Amino acid sequence: MGTENNKGYPKFPARPAPSSSPYASAPPPGIPPPSGGPPTGSDAVGFRPFPPSASQPIRPFTPSGPPPAPQVGAMRPAQPSPFVSQIPGSRPPPPSSNSFPSTAYGPPPPPPPPPGAAPFQRFPSPPFPTTQNPPPQGPPQTLAGHFSPPMSLRPQQQPMAPVTMGPPPQSTTSGLPGANASPSPADFNMAARPGFQQSMPPVTPSYPGVGGSQPSFPGYPSKQVSQPPPMPFQSSQGPPGPPPVSSYPPHTGGFAQRPNIVAQQNLHPSYAPPTSNVQGLVEDFNSLSLASIPGSMEPGLDHRSFPRPLDGDVEPNSFAEMYPMNCHSRYLRLTTSAIPNSQSLASRWHLPLGAVVCPLAETPEGEEVPLIDFGSTGIIRCRRCRTYVNPYVTFTDSGRKWRCNICSMLNDVPGEYFSHLDANGRRMDMDQRPELTKGSVEIIAPTEYMVRPPMPPIYFFLIDVSISATKSGMLEVVAQTIKSCLDNLPGYPRTQIGFITYDSTLHFYNMKSSLSQPQMMVVTDLDDIFLPLPDDLLVNLSESRTVVEAFLDSLPMMFQDNVNVESAFGPALRAAFMVMNQLGGKLLIFQNSLPSLGAGRLKLRGDDPRVYGTDKEYALRVAEDPFYKQMAADCTKFQIGINVYAFSDKYTDIASLGTLAKYTGGQVYYYPGFQSSVHGDKLRHELARDLTRETAWEAVMRIRCGKGIRFTSYHGNFMLRSTDLLALPAVDCDKAYAMQLSLEETLLTTQTVYFQVALLYTASCGERRIRVHTSVAPVVADLGEMYRQADTGSIVSLYARLAIEKSMSAKLDDARNAIQQKIVKALKEYRNLHAVQHRLGSRLIYPETLKFLPLYGLAIIKSTPLQGGPADASLDERCAAGFTMMALPVKKLLKLLYPNLIRVDEWLLKPSADHDDLRDVSNRLPLAAESLDSRGLYIYDDGFRLVLWFGRMLSPDIAKNLLGNDFAAELSRVTFQEQGNGMSKKLMSLVKKLRENDPSYHPMCFLVRQGEQPREGFLLLRHLIEDQMGGSSGYVDWILQLQRQIQQN
Amino acid sequence: MVKMTLIARVTDGLPLAEGLDDGRDLPDSDMYKQQVKALFKNLSRGQNDASRMSVETGPYIFHYIIEGRVCYLTMCDRSYPKKLAFQYLEDLKNEFERVNGPNIETAARPYAFIKFDTFIQKTKKLYQDTRTQRNISKLNDELYEVHQIMTRNVQEVLGVGEKLDQVSQMSSRLTLESREYADKAKDLNRQALIRKWAPVAIVLGVVFLLFWVKTKLW
Repeated sequence: MGTENNKGYPKFPARPAPSSSPYASAPPPGIPPPSGGPPTGSDAVGFRPFPPSASQPIRPFTPSGPPPAPQVGAMRPAQPSPFVSQIPGSRPPPPSSNSFPSTAYGPPPPPPPPPGAAPFQRFPSPPFPTTQNPPPQGPPQTLAGHFSPPMSLRPQQQPMAPVTMGPPPQSTTSGLPGANASPSPADFNMAARPGFQQSMPPVTPSYPGVGGSQPSFPGYPSKQVSQPPPMPFQSSQGPPGPPPVSSYPPHTGGFAQRPNIVAQQNLHPSYAPPTSNVQGLVEDFNSLSLASIPGSMEPGLDHRSFPRPLDGDVEPNSFAEMYPMNCHSRYLRLTTSAIPNSQSLASRWHLPLGAVVCPLAETPEGEEVPLIDFGSTGIIRCRRCRTYVNPYVTFTDSGRKWRCNICSMLNDVPGEYFSHLDANGRRMDMDQRPELTKGSVEIIAPTEYMVRPPMPPIYFFLIDVSISATKSGMLEVVAQTIKSCLDNLPGYPRTQIGFITYDSTLHFYNMKSSLSQPQMMVVTDLDDIFLPLPDDLLVNLSESRTVVEAFLDSLPMMFQDNVNVESAFGPALRAAFMVMNQLGGKLLIFQNSLPSLGAGRLKLRGDDPRVYGTDKEYALRVAEDPFYKQMAADCTKFQIGINVYAFSDKYTDIASLGTLAKYTGGQVYYYPGFQSSVHGDKLRHELARDLTRETAWEAVMRIRCGKGIRFTSYHGNFMLRSTDLLALPAVDCDKAYAMQLSLEETLLTTQTVYFQVALLYTASCGERRIRVHTSVAPVVADLGEMYRQADTGSIVSLYARLAIEKSMSAKLDDARNAIQQKIVKALKEYRNLHAVQHRLGSRLIYPETLKFLPLYGLAIIKSTPLQGGPADASLDERCAAGFTMMALPVKKLLKLLYPNLIRVDEWLLKPSADHDDLRDVSNRLPLAAESLDSRGLYIYDDGFRLVLWFGRMLSPDIAKNLLGNDFAAELSRVTFQEQGNGMSKKLMSLVKKLRENDPSYHPMCFLVRQGEQPREGFLLLRHLIEDQMGGSSGYVDWILQLQRQIQQN
Repeated sequence: MVKMTLIARVTDGLPLAEGLDDGRDLPDSDMYKQQVKALFKNLSRGQNDASRMSVETGPYIFHYIIEGRVCYLTMCDRSYPKKLAFQYLEDLKNEFERVNGPNIETAARPYAFIKFDTFIQKTKKLYQDTRTQRNISKLNDELYEVHQIMTRNVQEVLGVGEKLDQVSQMSSRLTLESREYADKAKDLNRQALIRKWAPVAIVLGVVFLLFWVKTKLW
């Protein structure tokens, strides 16, 4: 069958062509004359129209719409009648006769697979027939003339019969009414179309088998038309099919048996097969109809049916059962869990091939990673490839040797590690050895893994104290927060801490434990930095606790009258580096204005919109002064990780400052226009989280994989120390890294490929540990399988990172186009994979696993770092968001890209005693303006911000309850606080819950009322990514755009 | 001046604690650390039983004391008074035993008592300057006698180990070679035997063959 399809292939490339081409070539007898404009049209109708529609989705259609519509209607009805009559007869035979169908259809009435079932039930009823044949019928009537040949043929070849062409025509008239009645027209179209395409393949193949019939084309048309498509379709949409695998076998089976079928029941084999087929397909992919609904003037896109990730991220778990010993997907997610076996296959896949790794992801209670100490045995590793022992190694030679799963090297088992094997070749002590049963383990590292004794956790603060810092209240909040976190800093009693403040001069603080008050030393020489004293700038927190507290208490006061506006950021950074370079640690920078003095001074740039759209545009988004990259490199070398907190309402060149965080494995926090009254909570929470979360120090990470593949590029915040070693001075659970892999030229001959992520780090408690995550993925030779195992989440994560990186070297437009092109290519390839067999006309088809890809693609394009032009987001915002997104784990990124929008007013009004019952409000709405009802209250939550949207017609009671007496005021001035009534409490508990869902950032709460411009647009409307906004397209347009490009060759 | 401080378990050379910013402004601190490690390895093999020892290396000198199966070692300038160095080690020892005494034997991972580094740090500062009143009085304290403590060169100390290694290597080579020799001798013996008796056997064979042929033919 495959071959047959292939034959067809060449012809098909052009979508429209396919249907017609067969005709042209084969049926020439009757049809040659497309001349029969209208008539042919009709037969074509079923077919042709679609193709066109596909290519020119909506517009073309509308005009033509009307005409085809009637026909369509006609077509359907027609068949029903014929079928009905025939069906009874046909049914019995089906079981045996149709091989493929057999699976699905064989037992007609009690269809085994659910999808199939639907169709079946219908069968008996009149509607059924209609559905099946509808398409064919149409043509028949009109075509009857043309098809005369078929008629004649029929007698000879019953199988063709499906062609039922003869009957149809007649029936058409009668059938019409009935047909229409049963299924709603709209459904039909949709259904029919998909059906067609899908069913097509089977049909064609069967034909040849049928006998010489091929030439006789009459059958052809009918067949195409005849499928039972509708049902399959529906089924497809509804319940995702069972395992895809099944789909294929049936086909083949079906074909082989064809002969029988023919013999037994000539009449209807046609439909049976198609159905089964369809089923298979259904499981295989999804499609979206993009054609207009015939008969209606407006584009018939039902955008409500578009796929939306309203259930959040779905973790791939298809292999969790198959390989239960894999590490959890929170640690490692492959973009596809099926690795291609050759370079050529990989290059056809077009989507990125790689993984997203979050080595320290937070674990839920009870699933902590087991800690292992190999003691004097030493860590068991492969001698050649240095792989750590893991659940997939095999023990042989009665337990004396083990084979490395990655390089298949045979290693000796050290004496102390020896254990006998049982009859199955399993080690007897398997259950006591978590490293042999768990995909994620943590191993205590012996001295060989240390170049120095484990460092203590070190926090060094570099605080801007110029006028804006004190005015905005930043200094106070920071000092308070640090003080409140002193007890919770990890690593007691070794933790060290130190401070430098700066404006136009640098201020050092001696915090020697014997002092009662810190001593401040001022250095004014910015060109030649020196440390005013060798020790005691960085002190042990537990010893100098009182001094540190005294310092933090007095810090805001010390500078409250400071009127200095300069910022000697560069020199301060150098000084901090000099203090820290003995041990490394974490450097937190609080920067309030553009660095203006000394090395690394930056100038205003990016306020010129004219630069946008030119080739120099990208330069705005990268560090201008090499000082920053150089400092970052030096810091990484000395194990210093930098987190940047930026607060200015003016341009601060985050692009440059962020570079420091990017190459030291840190992150950027940006609070534009910081005001302690507004942003205070956010800063408090995020700084506290930064200081107290479990952090891995002086870490390096490497990911190993089997022979024949290797990781070639890495994306995220880190410094590459050698070709595959990521240097991460400080890493924590909120950081993820993406990497892409490539295949070497040789064919992969193994069944599976193994991946092992190893993170060597120093825990805050002073232990050196190695965290090892092992995972396995099967190798496949089939592109379809790769699509089936694709993981949208990690693909999107990789795409977002690629796009952001691209925006650092190209125009935004180019970055956006690149994403679009990638998606188009991937879907086109997928289409080619299936379109040959199934005439998919105007449908956009995509694998079930990638159904959200187009939407997320759109979301990436509309995300802050990449959206629009200069006016849409300030340069700093863009860069800050870019740095943040480069580090986000998959789930958080997906939430940021497609935020939650939930309606809460009804929930608030419902008298429920239980505040924890949040399930009612958890149903997310599509991110489009039409989801917003002006009588409602909505919460928009992207993980970074919570926006409460008050509809204009929202009942005043609710508003009053929630906002107190301010409810009529302009909401930008209202502070959101609990009002002491039930409703307000309920809402606050919801907000609290939403915040607790993801503690890594503290979403700020914004209130906005409908129509309150420009705040509303800025806060919410701009982020409704499914809407058309400014120059960017909405979801529908986007899909159409993709579809158009996919169909262009 | 104290340059670095290490504490290790003698039985297996496992490092237990180490001074924090050791090796600051010391260009080849890595090399010295290697030497210290080699020294610990030697100790774990049961050589150098002296419980107090000074070992010269380049411009510096290692002082160590072994107490309760734990070795406390520090590296100082050669000019640094020996007396102070050993006082310093004594201080460390007392505190270390007080805090971690019971757990020393059971420590399994390297730097299990890294938390001790804060104490090392503190104590080190006290001994940093030899001219403080406190240190001068310690120097003048006659009670603590350090003159008998042996001073050797690091090459010598490490050399012992090397030499031992060499000896064991040589002896193992000897056994190997003697075994080989025995094998060869056996082989030669057999060959000699064959050479000796082969002609006779052949002649006899021929004679028997002739006899056999004769009986068959006639």
